[in-house]
This record gives sequence, structure tokens and C-alpha cells, in this order.
Amino acid sequence: MSEFPPRAAGPDHLGGPAEPDLERLSVGERARLGAERDGVHIVHSRERHPVPGTKAERRAERGVALCFLLTFVATVAFTVIFIAAPWEFSLTDNSYAWFTPLLGVTMAIALAGVGVGAVLWAKWLMPEEEAVQERHEGASPRLERVTAAALLVDGLDQTGLARRSLLKRSLGLGLGALGVLAIVPLGGLVKKPRDELFTTPWKAGVRLVSFDGHPIRPGDLDPGALATVFPGVPGGARAPDAATMLIRLRPGQTVTRRAGQEDFGWNDYVAYSKICTHAGCPVSLYEQQTGRILCPCHQSQFQVQQDAVPVFGPAARPLPALAITVAEDGYFVAKGDYAEPIGPSFWERP
Amino acid sequence: MTDRSPSATRPSRLARVRRRVSGALALGAALGIVGVGYTAVAAAASPGTGARAAAPAQESVDVRKGRQLFEQGCVTCHGQNLQGVRDRGPSLIGVGQAAVYFQVSTGRMPVTRQEAQVERKPPKYDLTETQQLAAYVQSVGGGPEIPKGDLRDGALAEGGELFRLNCASCHNFAGRGGALSAGKYAPSLNESTDEVIYGAMLSGPQNMPVFSDNQITPEQKRAIVNYVQTLKKSADPGGSGLGRLGPVPEGIVIWVVGIGALMAALLWIGAKS
Repeated sequence: MSEFPPRAAGPDHLGGPAEPDLERLSVGERARLGAERDGVHIVHSRERHPVPGTKAERRAERGVALCFLLTFVATVAFTVIFIAAPWEFSLTDNSYAWFTPLLGVTMAIALAGVGVGAVLWAKWLMPEEEAVQERHEGASPRLERVTAAALLVDGLDQTGLARRSLLKRSLGLGLGALGVLAIVPLGGLVKKPRDELFTTPWKAGVRLVSFDGHPIRPGDLDPGALATVFPGVPGGARAPDAATMLIRLRPGQTVTRRAGQEDFGWNDYVAYSKICTHAGCPVSLYEQQTGRILCPCHQSQFQVQQDAVPVFGPAARPLPALAITVAEDGYFVAKGDYAEPIGPSFWERP
Repeated sequence: MTDRSPSATRPSRLARVRRRVSGALALGAALGIVGVGYTAVAAAASPGTGARAAAPAQESVDVRKGRQLFEQGCVTCHGQNLQGVRDRGPSLIGVGQAAVYFQVSTGRMPVTRQEAQVERKPPKYDLTETQQLAAYVQSVGGGPEIPKGDLRDGALAEGGELFRLNCASCHNFAGRGGALSAGKYAPSLNESTDEVIYGAMLSGPQNMPVFSDNQITPEQKRAIVNYVQTLKKSADPGGSGLGRLGPVPEGIVIWVVGIGALMAALLWIGAKS
């Protein structure tokens, strides 16, 4: 670069001296000189308080000081509240609920005090000034554009990339492999579903138990009752696909089962998967008089009397039914796993 | 324990006599305590008649008054013998004191008109009349009863777990209620008393499932009541709970009030300069 002459000392449109006598200028004049060299022109400037120490100036000064004092007071208040105010949850005393809001309010006052004070300082005390800055020219001068482009091309030439095809190819191979490296770990996320989407922990003879593990007898539910039951196996209550609604129908309610599932219920008890066939939400909004089960996520509705077919909303398939019976010891057991995969659709679903 | 061999445990004659005497004394004492206690309770409930009436007589007075109230206000829809009237009202046989207390004390009964949901409104019968009605229905058809005493005497954490498993799906995680199908809804629990929550679980009013004592034990029911009432009393440490309805009102407030205030500030700054 050194073979080119140095850049002119100032923009061409400035008619000022190229090298002014800096030593003789005051600080303000130097600041204005710098502004002029950047194309900033001060159109109009006026002292707000030409005579220092007037009543108005002192009042303005006190106003700004008040803002900063407010910041100090609010910060002290914040600290005191943070240390002393009750914050721990309490069943009997709700005063802890003020802790967070008070911290927020005091911090907001503290920050606003600094900000408002700074703005008022500029508006009330500093000189009133109006300045315009000229737009710079659209493109860089031709000389700069040509030399910058030459720098890039020259660098590429010096690597000899066009000549050294071995390096070019080996670099391409290496960089390509590096790109694959970023994709390889994603392979750990790819998993072909096996049986887990088709089966649940329910098996023939597995007891229906409540979330705390109690087995259920036919006498436990009144007509019109709903209980969420889980398979009585280790981890059954935590299994994501096993939650089941055990419903005791009201007198007069009957379920018209689909073919092949006529014996899935037991007397006035029926059991359906609690997992919506649309998006997998828990469907347990059961209306015991109408026999409808609602899904809270997308408002699908299933009609128990029609074998839990969807009658409203986006769900397309009925809730899978669990075949139940009562074992010899008098507790409910499953007669087997669900006859079809539970929950939302997936690619491999038949 | 009961079929011990007679030779090993046959007590002496003196011991048998002593046991009988002490048994009779205990029975007498128990009867006395129950009688005095009941009179005191009855006197507190209805000062006009309770002070001089014996326990069984008071009971029948409640039932008799309940029958009078029933025949004035309820027979049209529920029938002379509580058997129900077709297309008007269901049978009350077996619904018990729990259902009557729930429906009448929350003003749902008597209904003004048949519609999707019978709503809570100011009760038409006062507490004494409600209890008389409940006593009458209980005496005719039997059924579940709301127990007396402290209904919040249950483990809070267990109540929370049971509430989230059994109640929150319809009544919202903070007990604020939610929509059901075709204009029906699960009501808010804001105004519900201990007895009302307990009675609703026992009787399963309208479309709410029934939760019998075998399914959710009385201890668990008291835990749920305790949880609901504690939840209602507890504060919102983040400032206003916005009805505790969840992310929808919170989003509305952020977008309308929060962003709106920012826009107003921007406009003000623009107008000033």
C-alpha cells in the first residue's frame, strides 16, 4: 500500500485548512473542527442559561439532582426489601407475594431516575443545539475499489490454487468430510420404532390399579364414575402409554361395540385408553350424563355409548378399548393388551 | 380372635359380672354423652325448638319440616314420592343428603328453566331449610351424606396430586373451571365451600363423574378439599394472577397492555422531537 500517496487530510468539500494550528484552538473549537471534518454542521446553538446562577438555572439543577437522588433512595429500598422483606412461601401469611413486585418497582424507579435525570440534564441545562450531517457519497472512490479487489485476487493467486490441483482436491475432500461430521451425531436421533408403539404394559391378567397402586374392585366405583387406572406392574403408573379410563356407566347407558370386541367390557364397566388418538393429550373430561369424553387440547369429543368414536373435533379414530374382566380374587384385570396401537397416528401404523 | 378355645379363655364368674356392669355403665355414659351432645348441637342449629326436644323427636321435626318444604317447592318436578317426573326432574331416590345439600345450598335447585347447564345462583332456601330438605330426602331414599366436622383435615400434597389427576382436567389447574361440550361447563370452585366440594365429589352433580368413598376415600376427599381451599387462599407472587386462567390472558395482557404502552411511549417521543 505504501507506494500510493496518503489520503487527503479532509473531505474534498471542506474548504478549511488541511492542517490548522491546533495549539491555538480552544477545546470547543477543536470539537467543532472535528465535527466539520465529519460533515456535521452546527446550524444553531444557544446557551439555555446565558447568565449563570439564575433562579431558573438553580431550579433546573435541583430537578435533575432530584432524579439522581430518587435513584439512590430506590436502590436503598431495593436492598432493604431484598434483605428484610418476607419472601418464603407460607400457607398462612400471604405477604410474601409482595416481594417480587416490590423489587421490580424499586428497580424500575432506580433505573428510570438515572435515565430521566440524564434526559432532563440535556434538555434543561446543556446548550440548545441543532446540527445536520451530510450524507457520505454513495460508493468508495474508484481507486479504493480497484485496490481492494486487487488485494483479494492477488491473495488467491499467491496460494496457487488454480495450479495445485492435488491441494484443491484434498482440501475439498477434507472440508466435505468435516461437513458430514456435523451431520453424523444427528444419526443418534434416528430410531426406527419397533414394538414400543404397538404394545403397552397391559397383558392378560394384569390388574387395574389406581395411581397409588390400589387394585380396583367392581364395588369401588358408583354408576357414573370415572377412574384413571394403570397396569399393576412395576413402573405401570409411569408408563406413558398405559393410562386408561375405567368408566362405570349409568343405569340405562350401553355401549355398542365394534365387531370382535363385544366382550371387552364387564357388566356396566368399560375401559378406554386415556390418550387422544389425535395428538396424544389426556382425554379425561368425562361427561357422565351424556357419555362424552372431551379432549382439552383440540376439543375432540368421543361418544362412549358408540364405542368411543370421535363425534367432534380433529380426532379421526376411536379411543382403543381395553378388554377387562374380574379375576377370581374379585379385582379387575385386563384380558390382554389393547387390540390396536394407542395414541396418535404414526407412519408405520397399519 | 373370636374363635379362641373356650377352656383357655373362659373367665371367672366374678370377672363376667364385672364386665357386664362396666359394659352397662359405659353404654349408659355413651348414651348420655350422645344425647347431651346432640341436644346442644340441635339447640345451636334451631334455638326455637331444639332446647326442649329430645334427639329422636328433633330428627323427625327436621324430616317433617323438610317434607313440608319439599311438597311446596319440589314435588312438581321430583314427584310426590321422590320418584321423579318425566321430562321435568330426575328421581331423588338414593341421591342422599350430599346431593340435596350441593344442589340447594348453591342455588342450583330449584332450577328456573331447563337448559344446558344448571347454574349457581343465590340460594332460595336458607341453611336450616336446606338441611331440613336434605334430612327429608335422606330419610326417604337414603344415599351418600356429607360428613360433619373438619373437611380440610387431609394431607395437602396428596390432595394436590389427587386434584391434578381427577379434577384439574375439567376444573382447571387452579380450580377456575372450563368449558365442556354443547354449552355445558365445569364451574369455577371459587365460591365453593368445603361441604359443597365434598358433596359434589360424593354425588356427581350434572355431568361430573361420581367419586364414591371406595374410589376416593374420605381422607383423600378431605385432602382434596384442603388443597382446593388452600389454593384459593394462596397469593400470586408474580403480581396479579389475571384470573389464573393460564397463558391466554397473560398473552393478551402482554400484547395489548405491554406492547401498547411501548407504542404509546414511542409515539410520544416521536411527537416531542
